[in-house]
Amino acid sequence: MKILVPLKRVADPDNANKVKIPASGATIETTGLEWKPNPFDEYALEAALRLTEDGKAPKVRAGEVVVVTFGPKETETTLRAALATGADRAIRVDAADDKLDGHLVARALKALVEREKPDLVLMGKQAVDGDSNQVGQILAEQLDYPMATFAATMKEEAGGLLVGREVDGGVITLRVKFPAVVTVDLRIVAPTSVYSMKTAPAFKYNDGVRFAALPAIMAAKKKPLAEVKLADLAADQGLRVTYHGFQAPPARKAGIKVKDVTDLVNRLKNEAKAL
Amino acid sequence: MFEWSEQHRQIRAMLRRFVETEVVPHREALEFGDLPPYGILRKLLQTFGVDEMAKAQFAADIEREKSGAPPKEKKVRTEFSQGAADAAAMRILPVVEISRVSPGMITAMGVSVGLTAGAIMKKGTIRQKEEFVPALLTLEKVGAWAITEPGSGSDAFGSMRASARRDGDDYILNGNKTFITNGPHADTIVFICKLDEGNAPEHRKVLTFILDGDTPGLEKSKPLRKMGLHASPTGELFLTDVRVPKYRLLGETETAPSREGAKETFANERTAVAAMALGIVERCLELCVDYAKTRVQFGKPIGDFQLIQLKLAKMEVARMNIQNLVLRQVELAGWGKSMDLAEASACKLYCAQSAMEVCLEAVQLFGGNGYMSEYQVEQLCRDAKVMQIYGGTDEIQISQIARALLAR
Repeated sequence: MKILVPLKRVADPDNANKVKIPASGATIETTGLEWKPNPFDEYALEAALRLTEDGKAPKVRAGEVVVVTFGPKETETTLRAALATGADRAIRVDAADDKLDGHLVARALKALVEREKPDLVLMGKQAVDGDSNQVGQILAEQLDYPMATFAATMKEEAGGLLVGREVDGGVITLRVKFPAVVTVDLRIVAPTSVYSMKTAPAFKYNDGVRFAALPAIMAAKKKPLAEVKLADLAADQGLRVTYHGFQAPPARKAGIKVKDVTDLVNRLKNEAKAL
Repeated sequence: MFEWSEQHRQIRAMLRRFVETEVVPHREALEFGDLPPYGILRKLLQTFGVDEMAKAQFAADIEREKSGAPPKEKKVRTEFSQGAADAAAMRILPVVEISRVSPGMITAMGVSVGLTAGAIMKKGTIRQKEEFVPALLTLEKVGAWAITEPGSGSDAFGSMRASARRDGDDYILNGNKTFITNGPHADTIVFICKLDEGNAPEHRKVLTFILDGDTPGLEKSKPLRKMGLHASPTGELFLTDVRVPKYRLLGETETAPSREGAKETFANERTAVAAMALGIVERCLELCVDYAKTRVQFGKPIGDFQLIQLKLAKMEVARMNIQNLVLRQVELAGWGKSMDLAEASACKLYCAQSAMEVCLEAVQLFGGNGYMSEYQVEQLCRDAKVMQIYGGTDEIQISQIARALLAR
């Protein structure tokens, strides 16, 4: 099985250098930010690796995982991390971060899918920076592929996948035929969430995303990493989303101490209007 | 090298995630509950493929030795090898990252994987290497290296009492060893003693034996209570008429020079202290900067006070210096070189002392909280002290630096 996994880097929320907005409010200041892969994309990569191996030790790979990202040269760090984790090949689509929107990325990915012909495009349900949650859906529409979103489980079957999606009160199971687009939710990395046809049904993965072995991190430097120009994938680079301004959320006000329960109830009722 | 490369930073990020998920939740149990560190360490080696790497390296070394080829010599390179530098960084970074939370785990691992397996690799026969080393490298078996005795510390060989007597084809071993890292849990013990041929102790030959932890006549104490480094179980070993066959004698010959190679072992051990010190100092500094920004006294964060600023600034200077010494080791490895004993001694002396100073200042900066176990600086402070004592005390380092200087 050949799987294409699009990855995006996002600002690391745990890092000391927080996202800053200049006084003009015209943009988001990205200099000095520490980056990390979008967590949902990491889950997609983990799921892709599980789908292309048998779970045994030492594991036997069956298939290819290709990762792709859009951005300037330094986004190759994100790709090399993915190669270290187990991806076989990487592609960087050279583009400026502020010249992209979800629709353009989906259009370019469509061209890339037509070139690479993967059986499956596996991606995070959304990036945690813009929280747009649209690239997977637009891509499936453009390709006219079957689509399953917010996957919590995946089971490979002949020529397709059974995808479980958690909804209120239960789980919907969707059957998608390859080629397909699937976006994943966080439960996809639970120990029994993903089974390839080669993985024993009793096998359990470690919870969460795997660690890259130290020699693999070094060896990742030698794995293929290709650069593609955005123009080669998308002739029309027009943006459908324009940003009109940014503003930091208001700082949280200090809390207050209430005298007693009567005071609490009174304030909840009259000030917070919560009762 | 003046900074970590992208790959090194990736390794560091991976290790940090491992430490957060696998070590931090057990800190209390390691620190106050006598939880042995080996389970976590085994998981570390497996997770990052270090055990497989070590096994492959071992297989290659043994193959080479069996083919009769001379042991691979370290060659000074004419061109910098990034691969060799990366290999060094791969050994150093886990030490830095784990020392941020639990320096004792590094000591426990280093003694088993480095010192014990290293001693057998250096002087053992092929049969001994194949039998004992692989399990030590993966921590499947826990190793201990027993030299120190109640009456012999810095003067290890001079006042050594532990003895071996010939008895037919066997040897009879006697003696007490103390401060033995991993002693309480050791499966494989490298035991250093002197051959008693009826001659005066100062003329006796030094012999080394490889013992199983459950050898009859060998008794292991419970972990000793100590100031810090609780994650590294330390104990005593008592040997009473322990009978061992000759193949337990390291090298299987009495004529193997026992003291040779000690210099390189000491140098390795000493340079590792720099990496531990870096982890400890980095962590102290992070905790202190955070505390200085959030702890409010007299109506403002204590970081606004110049006396606190001085502490932070001095910690940063120490961190930079120690990091430079660590990066120098990586750079040297890339050139096929390593620190000689005098330089390694100077490196250890500086790093151990600076780390101790940083830790004491960190406790001071945290005030009453710093004295409490709940805030991690208290533990790091107790742990750091050992670096001035083991692997050669500060005083021994000073004498070795001076000896090299005065011999010029």
